[in-house]
Amino acid sequence: MFFHIVLERNMQLHPRHFGRDLREKLVSKLMKDVEGTCSGRHGFIVAITGIESVGKGLIRDGTGFVTFPVKYQCVVFRPFKGEILEAVVTMVNKMGFFAEAGPVQIFVSNHLIPDDMEFQSGDVPNYTTSDGSVKIQKESEVRLKIIGTRVDATEIFCIGTIKDDFLGVISDPGTNA
Amino acid sequence: MSIESFNRLVKLAARAFYDDITTKGDNQPKSGRSDNRGIAVVILDALTRRQWVREEDLAKDLKLHTKQLRRTLRFFEEEKLITRDHRKEGAKGAKVYNSAVAATVDGLQNGKEGDDKIKMHTHSYCCLDYAQIYDVVRYRLHRMKKKLRDELDNKNTVQEYICPNCAKRYTALDALRLVSTEDEYFHCESCNGELVAESDKLASQGSTDGDDNDRRRRREKLEDMLHRVEAQLKPLMDQLARVKDLPAPEFGSLQAWEVRANAVARGANGDNGNDSKSGQGLGFGGTPMPFVGETKVEVAFSGLEEKGDIKSEVSVTPMKVLPPWMIKEGMNLTKEQRGEVKQESNMEGTSAAAGSSDDKKSIGFEDVKNIQDEYIKAYYEALFKRQKEQEEATKLLPETSTTDGVYNPSTERQVGMKSKREEEDEGEDVEWEEAPPAGNTTTGNLKVDLNVQADASEDDNDEEDDIDWEEG
Repeated sequence: MFFHIVLERNMQLHPRHFGRDLREKLVSKLMKDVEGTCSGRHGFIVAITGIESVGKGLIRDGTGFVTFPVKYQCVVFRPFKGEILEAVVTMVNKMGFFAEAGPVQIFVSNHLIPDDMEFQSGDVPNYTTSDGSVKIQKESEVRLKIIGTRVDATEIFCIGTIKDDFLGVISDPGTNA
Repeated sequence: MSIESFNRLVKLAARAFYDDITTKGDNQPKSGRSDNRGIAVVILDALTRRQWVREEDLAKDLKLHTKQLRRTLRFFEEEKLITRDHRKEGAKGAKVYNSAVAATVDGLQNGKEGDDKIKMHTHSYCCLDYAQIYDVVRYRLHRMKKKLRDELDNKNTVQEYICPNCAKRYTALDALRLVSTEDEYFHCESCNGELVAESDKLASQGSTDGDDNDRRRRREKLEDMLHRVEAQLKPLMDQLARVKDLPAPEFGSLQAWEVRANAVARGANGDNGNDSKSGQGLGFGGTPMPFVGETKVEVAFSGLEEKGDIKSEVSVTPMKVLPPWMIKEGMNLTKEQRGEVKQESNMEGTSAAAGSSDDKKSIGFEDVKNIQDEYIKAYYEALFKRQKEQEEATKLLPETSTTDGVYNPSTERQVGMKSKREEEDEGEDVEWEEAPPAGNTTTGNLKVDLNVQADASEDDNDEEDDIDWEEG
C-alpha cells in the first residue's frame, strides 16, 4: 500500500557545496540517499515529492560538514499481510516462484500454487495447468495475495499465494509473444 | 435439567479426548498390568455424580491409589476441566465438608465419623467446572477443525523447510536467502545441504516430498480425516449445541458450596439438624435463624439446578414449616410480651386452632345465632341500665372521666386481642360476649365495661405467666 507522508532526515553537506545552489545540492543529495531505501517502519521510500522545510545548519567541529535537518514529503510503499498485489515473476523453481512488486520481493511456494498447476522443468522452468492454458514463467504477471511479511530494519520480504479466487496469471508473455 | 445435559457432555468429551490418557510417565514401561488408560474416563464419570469431593474420598470410592488419582486430577486441572481447592483443616473443617456432602450426595458417605481424629492436614478437593468444560471442549473442537481445514486448503500456512543434514529449519520467509545460483533448490545456510519442504504433520508420512502425487494423496487424507472428525465427534457437537443455551451448573468455591449445601440440608431437615443448639436455647430469638437458612436455599437453586430430589424435598418442607410462622407473626403483633407462651401455643394451636374454630363455627352456627340474638337482647337491657347508672355517676363524680382516658388505650389493644383469641379460645360464650360490643363501641360506657373484663382476663394470663416463670 502506498502512503504519502512527511519524514525528517539530518543531511550532512560537504563545505564545497556551500554557495548559490546549496539548496539544490541538498535536495539532490537527499534524493540520492533516501529514494529506494527501505525502513521497516515506513516501508520502501519510492519518491520524494517535495521539501517541507530545511532547518538551520550546524557546522561540525573539525570536519566543516554542516548538518541540516530536512523535512520532506515522500511516497512510501509498505506491503501488508492480506494485501492483493500485482507482481512480475522473476524466478521459477521447483520450490515455487519469486516475484517482484516494485521494490518488494515476494515468494510463492509451490503449495500455495493451485493444485492443478504442475512444475515443468526445462529451458524455461514454469508452472502449467494440465491443459496448458495457463502458464507461469519468468516475466509473467501475476496477481497474488500476501500471506506473510518479514520486516527487518532495512528489508521487507513477503510470501504470497495465488491459491485463491481471482488470483494467478493476469497476462502471459509466452502467449503474447 | 441442565446438569444432566452437562454431565452427558462431560462423559462424551471424556470418551472422545481422554480415552487413552495414561498417567504413567513415558519412561516407565507400559506393561499390561500398569496400563491405566481409561481411568481418566472413570474419574470424570465419577465426578459427574458428585459436586465438590475430597480427593481421598474419591480415591476410596474408586478403589484407586490416591497418588494415581492426584496425577490424573492434576492433568484435568491443567486441561481446565476441574477446579481444585487445597486447604489445611482439622476435624472441624472436615465436619463442615462432611455435612455438606451428606446434604448433597446421599449414600456416598461412608464412615466419615472416624475422620474426627484428623489433626491439621491439607486436604484437596476437586469439582467439575462445567462452564469451563463447555468452553474447553468447544475450543478444542474448533482448533482441531481449523488445523485440518487450514492444511486442507493450505490457507495462511507458511511453508517450512528443513535441512536433512543438520535439521535446521527455515520458513518460506527465508526463501530469498536460501535460493542458490547453481540449481533450483533451496540450500541450507550452514551446511549447504539441499532443503526439503517439511511435510504436513498429519498426513503424508514417508513419501517423497514436493511430489504432485504426494500432494494429492495428502489432500485426500486430510479430507478423509476431516470427515471422520465430523462424523465421530457429531454426538459431542450435538451435545454442545444442546447445552449452549442452558445455564451451566455452578458450584462456586469450596467454601461457598459448603455453606450452601449445609443451608440446603438445614432447610431439608426442617431446621432441627444444625440449628438445634441455637434454635432451642433462644426460644423466641431462635426463630429468625431457620428463615435465614431458607433464603439461602433459594439462592442456591437459582445457580444450581442440581439434584431434583433435594430440591423437591426442600421446596416441600418450607411449605409445611411456613404456615405456623405466618400465624405466629400475626400473634406477634399483639402478644409481643409473651414470647415463650407464643411458641408453645403455636405448636399446639396452629393446626388445632385453625381447624377447630372452623369446625365449631360450622357445627354450632345455628345455635350460636339464637344464642346471639337472645344475648343481644339481654345485653342491651343491661347496657341501658348501665348507661343510666353511668350518667348518674358522671354527674356525681367528674373523676370517672379521667379513668375513662386511662382505660382507652387498653381498649384498643383489646380489639386486637379478640381477633386472636377467636382462633385460640375454646370458650365461645366469652367470645360472643365480647364480640358485639366491639361493633357498638360508639357508646362511651361500653368501654368501661369492656376494660373491666379485659383486665380481668389479662390479669389471669399474667398470673399464669408469673407462675410459669417461677417454676422455670
